[in-house]
Amino acid sequence: MNNLQSLSLYWPELILTVTVLVTIIADLFYSAKESGKTALWVLGGLVLTYLAIRLQDSTIVTTLFMENLAFDPYASFFKTLIILATVFVIFISQRTSELDGYRTGEYYALLAIMVFGMFLMVSAIDLIMVYLAIEIVSISSFILAGYLRNDLRSNEASLKYVIYGAFSSGIMLFGLSIVFGLAGSTKFFAIQEAMWNLEGSADFAFTLATIFILAGFGYKISAVPFHFWTPDVYEGSPTSITAYLSVAPKAAGFALIIRFFNQVFGDGASFMDPSLTTYTELPWPQLLAVLAVITMTLGNLVAMQQNNIKRMLAYSSIAHAGYMLMALPTLSSQGVYAVMIYLVMYLFMNLGAFFVVIYVKSQGGGETFDDFSGLGWKIPIVGIVMTIFMISLTGIPPTAGFIGKFYIFAAVINSGPQLYWLAIVGGINSVISLYYYMRVVKVMFFEGKSSESVIVPPFAVLLILMALAIPTVIFGIYWVPIANWVSKSLVLFTQVI
Amino acid sequence: MIDVAFWFVVILTLGSALIVVLNEKLVYSAIALLFTLFGVASLYVFLWADFLAGAQVVIYVGGILVLIIFGIMLTNRITSVNISHTSVQKGMGGVAVLGIIIVLGIMILNTPWYQTEFVEPAQTTATIGTLLMMEYLLPFEVASLLLLAALIGAAMLSRSGE
Repeated sequence: MNNLQSLSLYWPELILTVTVLVTIIADLFYSAKESGKTALWVLGGLVLTYLAIRLQDSTIVTTLFMENLAFDPYASFFKTLIILATVFVIFISQRTSELDGYRTGEYYALLAIMVFGMFLMVSAIDLIMVYLAIEIVSISSFILAGYLRNDLRSNEASLKYVIYGAFSSGIMLFGLSIVFGLAGSTKFFAIQEAMWNLEGSADFAFTLATIFILAGFGYKISAVPFHFWTPDVYEGSPTSITAYLSVAPKAAGFALIIRFFNQVFGDGASFMDPSLTTYTELPWPQLLAVLAVITMTLGNLVAMQQNNIKRMLAYSSIAHAGYMLMALPTLSSQGVYAVMIYLVMYLFMNLGAFFVVIYVKSQGGGETFDDFSGLGWKIPIVGIVMTIFMISLTGIPPTAGFIGKFYIFAAVINSGPQLYWLAIVGGINSVISLYYYMRVVKVMFFEGKSSESVIVPPFAVLLILMALAIPTVIFGIYWVPIANWVSKSLVLFTQVI
Repeated sequence: MIDVAFWFVVILTLGSALIVVLNEKLVYSAIALLFTLFGVASLYVFLWADFLAGAQVVIYVGGILVLIIFGIMLTNRITSVNISHTSVQKGMGGVAVLGIIIVLGIMILNTPWYQTEFVEPAQTTATIGTLLMMEYLLPFEVASLLLLAALIGAAMLSRSGE
């Protein structure tokens, strides 16, 4: 579609842009104490954006702005997921004590800009667009990670994030330039055609380019070996931002990886056929499989040694990225389906775990295992809810995490014997993760002295906890609505060769 | 003649880039960066990208480099000798760099790069303008949001206490 026609399908992003501007202007009229009220503007804008997405005709599958963006149910699915995560994080941010004493107008404005960047990430089909989208998300997260200016750890987090971010985007840009040099175009479709026309004569260049590009994408989903920033950034950032970084940009990163590999290295028929035919002369499925294995193994092994729960959750989120990566080498729509389901489940349980950490910290506790000892007796409801999240993160039935893992493993095993080893490694990893997740439960209920007085959290906290915990349990038993939603959304705009 | 000029520019760019990385005095590095950026601008000229070369000089040499020098001058007392940066593990780094150069060299020499018939472009700015308003309109507009985020961040970080 040309630029003018595209606008009619671009309402969600337009509303979001206006939201950003309105938020910044509204913040001018608030005093420092009231600055948190800008959250209402962003929330309102996000609700309108969601409505705009829902009102769009889901049967239209096309490209926008002269093949810069794709418009398809797949993008709408991820946009909805990102909005959901952002809404939760805005509510969580209201309850955190870390932001006390800071003006939060910019905080919410930057969140909205980040949402815009992620919207671009999930629909970009042009290399320049991909780069810009990643940079918008990165730059706003750098600032948000360093939002606690008086906290040295937050400064450190921001600085490390910037340095690693600059380094990995540099490498990614080099990879993208190699691809451009081969195809003579930045459009995914033109690259795909060039790829098939070259008939393997440029495989070495394409392989190198893939590795370089994976540095950029892997950085966003914190896959090993591009994960070095993750623990320090997750530990130092405001916990609400940590929760956000571990869910939303990760979902957007996976959306981008799937779209990129499917379109550029596939023949385009992949999502109409159950068996995906792809240009497999290149070892990219193997690359992704190796990446998945080292990501989850390292994430789990290091998570075991942590004493800080926030840091432990950081490594656990690396491990979860590894589980999701496992489904990509299957080269099947079933694998993509599994990743999408996993992301929905992961959103609830991971945000929930981080929210418990935030709440405990705002109650005068800290982030280490010691601070959690006896928590199950002191604040029973929080102890129980945290137990649910930990069980779900491990992937034990009847929780959402189990369903997510089930689909991933099913996709890996169904793709044939050549990937059985991957499923076995994944299984071993799940068992390892049981150790450190259950350690939290053990500390909460079997350590520390049981206190006489029982604290009941305020209603707002209870509401957020329930909004995250109930889906974690319900979707473990009755996940048909999610499965239906995902299978309806599994429509990508592709060019068939 | 063109060949001589080209190799002169290449040597200037790479040589000054090496000084940027290897010299221990930060001010020297900043000055050497001037020549690197000029070299890159000249390389654009060889590629018939005159507008890009001009933009490179105006933005990088005229703007960013001056800012960098200001930054160095203002954040350090001129009298302090500690304006230096050192590289560690030069040996290991050298080997890694050599390995990367060899791999990339093999890749570059053995790849059938995309090439078009060479036509001397009559003008470049009109083409760039059309592209920015047509095919790359969205990236062009979206870049403003990226800059907005950066601006907000800069304002937030530089604000003194509440």
